[in-house]
Amino acid sequence: MTAIATPPSATPPSAAPTRVRPARSGVLVQVWVLTGRALRQLHDPRLILLSLLQPLIMLVLFSQVFRSIADSPGFPSGANYIDYLLPAILVTTGTQAAIWSGAGLATDLSNGALARFRTLPISMTSLLVARNLFDLVRNAIQLIVLTVAAAVLFGYAPAGGIPGTTLALLLGLAVATGLSWVFIALASWVRKVELMQMVGFIVIFPLMFASSAFVPITGLPPWLRVIATINPLTYAIDAARGWAMADPTSGATVSTLLIAAGLTVGAALIASRGVRRP
Amino acid sequence: MIDAVDVRMTFGDVTALGGVSVAVPAGTVHGLLGHNGAGKTTLINVLTTLFAPIGGSVTVAGFDVVRDAAQVRRRIGVTGQFASVDEDLTGTQNLVLLGRLLGASRRAANRRAAELLELFGLTDAADRPARGYSGGMRRRLDLASSLVGRPDVVFLDEPTTGLDPESRLGMWDVVRTLVSAGTTVLLTTQYLDEADRLADTITVLSQGQVVAAGTATELKERVGRRTVSVTLAAADVGPALDTLRRAGLDPLQSGRTLTAPVESSRALAVVVRALDDAGIEADDLGLHEPTLDDVYLTLTGACP
Repeated sequence: MTAIATPPSATPPSAAPTRVRPARSGVLVQVWVLTGRALRQLHDPRLILLSLLQPLIMLVLFSQVFRSIADSPGFPSGANYIDYLLPAILVTTGTQAAIWSGAGLATDLSNGALARFRTLPISMTSLLVARNLFDLVRNAIQLIVLTVAAAVLFGYAPAGGIPGTTLALLLGLAVATGLSWVFIALASWVRKVELMQMVGFIVIFPLMFASSAFVPITGLPPWLRVIATINPLTYAIDAARGWAMADPTSGATVSTLLIAAGLTVGAALIASRGVRRP
Repeated sequence: MIDAVDVRMTFGDVTALGGVSVAVPAGTVHGLLGHNGAGKTTLINVLTTLFAPIGGSVTVAGFDVVRDAAQVRRRIGVTGQFASVDEDLTGTQNLVLLGRLLGASRRAANRRAAELLELFGLTDAADRPARGYSGGMRRRLDLASSLVGRPDVVFLDEPTTGLDPESRLGMWDVVRTLVSAGTTVLLTTQYLDEADRLADTITVLSQGQVVAAGTATELKERVGRRTVSVTLAAADVGPALDTLRRAGLDPLQSGRTLTAPVESSRALAVVVRALDDAGIEADDLGLHEPTLDDVYLTLTGACP
């Protein structure tokens, strides 16, 4: 490592005769630069493929296993099960992406990858926002691929058409953002990857199944129906399904957006405090 | 440049720092010496605005680390114990990212990155992902990362732990280069020779307390005297012990080696003459300055 010795001509690192300190970067620049850093991961197509695999498997399994539900009472008459299912999958995929986003932050926090950022004159919140933007982009790619796959493989063609499906997709992204922040907040305090994943799946799976995602609520046993009715995911799924199937319910849409926004703001505040701790 | 007064820090019931004071003038190197758990890293975390201490006051580059943390962060560079480089990014990308975060334009950030990569001998690896770097290269990139903003004060937490001897020497050169350019450096180390060679002043920490502070020379003087050691050719040490006692010394025996504290280097000549007169043959004979190991053992009573 003799190369480390300063060549006679080189300027020592801090010896610039005029000490021009770089101006402080604005929050927007920070978010931009840090999001760019995170998005570099997307250059590795394997990661995208892997993150698509799970929702694709769910799409295939549920659309085939539960197909007969379309014949049951309480199911919208004349609708295909795939038209009913896909909007729900758009919402539930986001909830799982949220777990990954928390686990990713926990990894970075526990292996010291973010240690330097705390000693820089930047806002740690912009680091978290950048992370969330990256998750949002990855999520959007996931959901678009899923929708296309559903249309090509299973003939997804809901009454709401492309505009309705787009709105359903955007609602899915809103839910994912709110939940991502919840898991980011959790990760910034807990910082244990395995624990994060366990907590995530314990919370998310019941929320997913005790909802209107896969079967009409009216077909559930009474106690489960109560849970499903107050489950926020049910609002989100009903709202997304409403837009896709050309039967929009503005109440559920507004509730979904309000809850997502509330979770985002609350969790972001908690997260930006937690992430400062070494 | 660094002024810490009576810094206190606890974690639950554990006192990590029990009133530590450290003052480092601008343009000097200060060494924090101590074994694991002595409080070195905790102190670094306080000085670099990561922990707010529960007591005491700290200013770095003229700003309070709690009240003006943002100002402090604009003037410091930190290299932690674990290299925090982004493995997915190349050497250049790592440094450019930091330059941009510090508010430099893309061009200025690129220029600064190239400058630092050259200084640290990483130009050839500039466009390779840091994932493929060796441990030494990673450390150099990490240190380069902390210099992107031309900091006034650089904190190095065990900068050479785990490096091979050649890389250690290289790291020492970098520290000297930094200081010659007017940067203030605070480094922690478990290596006594490292503190001895690099640091203008040293603080020895043990269990969150300062047990000694001063220059390396002052610390050595506190521990005391030089010693003469004689390794005898013969296994029978009796005559030699008598001879040294008659010469006015107080020798200790360990195998065939006798050591005795002496007042001045002239004592060596006395020993040589006495042994020669008595016809005693020595394999090895020498005068030893006290080392920081001696300082450390004497002051903390613990193994380093």
